[in-house]
Amino acid sequence: MTHATLFIQCIVDGMYPEVGEAMVKLFQRLDITMDYPENQTCCGQPSFNSGYRKEAAKAAKHYIETFEDAETIVCPSGSCVSMVRHHYPELFENEPAWKNRAIDVGKRTFELTEYLIDVLKIENTDAYYDGTITYHDSCHLKRYLGVAAQPRALINQVKGATFVEMKDSDTCCGFGGAFSTKYPDISTAMVKEKVKNILDSGADAVVGCDMGCLMNIKGYLNRHNLNVRVMHIAQLLAGQKAGAV
Amino acid sequence: MQANTNETQFMATLRAALGIKQDNAEKRAAQIFTSPNDPNPEQTGIVETIKSRQGKDYMGLIDHLCREAVPLKLNVIPVKDEAQVSKAIVELVKETEPEWGTKKSVVQWDHPLVNALDLKTALKGQNVPVHTAVFDSAGMDNIKRSKAKERVRQQMIDSYIGVTSADFCLADTATLVMRSRPKEARAVSLLPAIHVAVIRKEQILTNLKELYTLLKYDPDTRDPGVLPHHMTMISGPSKTADIELVMVHGAHGPRALYLYVITE
Amino acid sequence: MNHDTATKKYVQNSALAIKDEILQSALNKIQSGLGKATALSYQNLDEGPPLRLKAHEIREKTINNLDVVLTRLAAKVRDNGGKVYFARTDKQAVDYCLKVAQQHHVKQVVKGKSMVTEEIGLNPAFEAKGIEVNETDLGEYIVQLAGEKPSHIIAPAAHKTRQQVGRLFEQKLGVPYTEDPPELTRIARKALREKFLTADMGISGCNLACAETGHMTVVSNEGNIRMSTTLPKVHVAIMGMERVVPNLEDHDILFRLLSRGAAAQKLGGYVSYIGGPGGPEFPDGPEEFHLVILDNGRSRILADPKFREILCCIRCSACLNACPVYGKIGGHAYDSTYCGPIGAVLTPLMEGMNQAKDLCLGESLCGACKQACSVNIDLPRMLLELRYRLAYGDDQWETKPVSVVEKTIHQAWALLAGHPALYRAVLTTFALGQKIFPTSKGMITKMPGPGAGWTKSRDIQPLSQTPFRKRFKKLNAQKADR
Repeated sequence: MTHATLFIQCIVDGMYPEVGEAMVKLFQRLDITMDYPENQTCCGQPSFNSGYRKEAAKAAKHYIETFEDAETIVCPSGSCVSMVRHHYPELFENEPAWKNRAIDVGKRTFELTEYLIDVLKIENTDAYYDGTITYHDSCHLKRYLGVAAQPRALINQVKGATFVEMKDSDTCCGFGGAFSTKYPDISTAMVKEKVKNILDSGADAVVGCDMGCLMNIKGYLNRHNLNVRVMHIAQLLAGQKAGAV
Repeated sequence: MQANTNETQFMATLRAALGIKQDNAEKRAAQIFTSPNDPNPEQTGIVETIKSRQGKDYMGLIDHLCREAVPLKLNVIPVKDEAQVSKAIVELVKETEPEWGTKKSVVQWDHPLVNALDLKTALKGQNVPVHTAVFDSAGMDNIKRSKAKERVRQQMIDSYIGVTSADFCLADTATLVMRSRPKEARAVSLLPAIHVAVIRKEQILTNLKELYTLLKYDPDTRDPGVLPHHMTMISGPSKTADIELVMVHGAHGPRALYLYVITE
Repeated sequence: MNHDTATKKYVQNSALAIKDEILQSALNKIQSGLGKATALSYQNLDEGPPLRLKAHEIREKTINNLDVVLTRLAAKVRDNGGKVYFARTDKQAVDYCLKVAQQHHVKQVVKGKSMVTEEIGLNPAFEAKGIEVNETDLGEYIVQLAGEKPSHIIAPAAHKTRQQVGRLFEQKLGVPYTEDPPELTRIARKALREKFLTADMGISGCNLACAETGHMTVVSNEGNIRMSTTLPKVHVAIMGMERVVPNLEDHDILFRLLSRGAAAQKLGGYVSYIGGPGGPEFPDGPEEFHLVILDNGRSRILADPKFREILCCIRCSACLNACPVYGKIGGHAYDSTYCGPIGAVLTPLMEGMNQAKDLCLGESLCGACKQACSVNIDLPRMLLELRYRLAYGDDQWETKPVSVVEKTIHQAWALLAGHPALYRAVLTTFALGQKIFPTSKGMITKMPGPGAGWTKSRDIQPLSQTPFRKRFKKLNAQKADR
């Protein structure tokens, strides 16, 4: 029996609960049982990236305490997983006991696509999508976790879908957390180019693995009345042909 | 001496920054520096490989060199012997015009292979003077020497073709390697608009690694201090892409480079 | 300049750069051409991209033993007949160069492209003494004629069009207008040849010194550095104290990576190994060679274990060609000698963290710089470290906390993150409160405070009234029922 403990990061929990729903639907179809610790909050990445490490450490301790007993933790965000896996141990440089606990929980925390491909070796999700898809590589997922082939493998097994690579799929979309609000002009110039590459790809949907980036891309598309569907990969993989069980 | 005081203080600052309390410099140096007298098996192997090369190995290297030279606009021309090079230079002088001024002249190194081209005789027909950028400083006082140097410098400035050899040529990067010597003025390959170099195929090495290994670990090649006071490497004619990233050849150094490789 | 002014300037400069179509097209060309070619050139290394890791090890070992390595370098250069001067500050370095110039009654200097001479302000100091200094790299020459600063470490005039260069040459050199790059290059070639032939002193930087042989190496494709270091009677080279490797074997690795990182070349067009002057029997080359080894704040960086890694940098500029922020704002917006990701880390360390805070805050932490770095420096780690120091202040770096308001916000967030019930209550309240904001197609179009930056150009998803945490139980039960 395969079991996963869900870590649904704040953006998905609060703003995009349908992404979490899609993940639940997908896991149910794949016969993965789930639990969701209700005490979970934020991984602390926003504070860490802005330099507020003492505050980030508080969030980190809470995460560790919440998830310590879970065997396998799965999160639909590469940057949150990267925070847990790579930055938690840094936070506790001077607290060896916490550091060990952080390393330990980090080893059991997986991003959704690496969980499906690398851990479960899933080849078929029985997903269906009628249309052309392009994929945006989120920076932390690709560069810090080395996850780029996994989401592509998953997209490629979706029936009915055509996959096209966009130009510079792994160039930053300009989100960067607080960066996007502190330096909006630079951030906008970056997302503008990302959106241009999405449009140029000819795809009708852009798929990603991190709602941070997708929120940024979607926000720009919406403001400029551009019609491209924005989907988290969980939503793509949860999708089935009408009438399918 | 002021320089030394200042060096002592500088090093003290560095050691403080590094948090190194005891001065174990010698021990650390032994761990950091490799010794020219103590090649590892890989390095010994490289030297042996180089020294055991045969005819067909060189032909392979020439092919490699020719391929790498193309994108660099370095013209590599394999030839049978010195006479062919000499003939080619005569043609080159006929076909090309000086970049600065109107008078044609050629400047060359005082080097056995270059001397063997006998350019003076070959270019007599066209009435083009061939200067050898060299002077004998023995017994000269400062004034005489600086006059002699000025004369050589002017010849290099005035000439539009400079003819040199090289110590080595690296096939993988199409690179000429020149260790400075008194009879091999540096500016012969720099000031004239066209640089012609002539080497024998045995001077070709594969790459930088072979060069460095030979320079450091081969007692037959090594200078007393591993390298002389100056060495130049040249991979193709001068170029720039500073205006809109458009590649232009002939920025400050030679606009064209011909490399003749004698194969026999 | 106070810190708020610096921020304002950074923000304004970036906005201007983004609107500058000429600059945007140039930046695009650099990144899509050179940036990608460099990445490919790492792939094509005999040893493959992991050579970058090996190079990092070499650099780290060198930096950790810099005293020993520099002592050897200095001794060997002196053996080669060169003179070595250790300069603690920029001023000491400039003064030494001026002293050498005055000893030789120098009236005119030709200079090879070098960032370190920009760093120490060499040109203005020489000009103040009535000594003419000519930049000889074509890009630097253009920038000097225009009275500007370089906008890229190896392509200093990347921000200028051929038309702009044409008009500049027409104006400053009195030549007929042309916008043909080969013709423009020829004009500069002619003008600078005269300077090379008449200069009394050559000044260069140093790409990479080799301690065991006692040489510094300089690289150029134009041949200007060969000219500057061959023709004048005196040559002074200035190197940042970290630009050295112990052995030729190390030099081989670093040097190949430098060429690839800088210009996607296997090897730079011209490389000069310079250890000292030739003897009286040599027909050409300088009669005096001076090597100035510069600290200028580097030992302070060396002393901080969290930042020491930045001294591994060999200034190849590959990070500029990959950074999406540099790719939008260009070099001038950084308003410092070193721009791009390397500048974003180095400038706050050299000029003050508060003063240059926007350079490290104004990055998206995407990691492209680390991936592009020829020696695999973890630049994002140091950007984060700088932000950490800025968040709480750091006495050793004379850094003050950057913002009390921001700190309070993060403290409040940390409080919520540690108290799930409170966290849930506050988010529910926010979800209700957000209804006051205007929306379009289900998204919020205008937010106050820190959100205003976002909604300037983008809409934002509102918080859901039924977040995931309220949905899970029901969803999970569905399966059990089936």
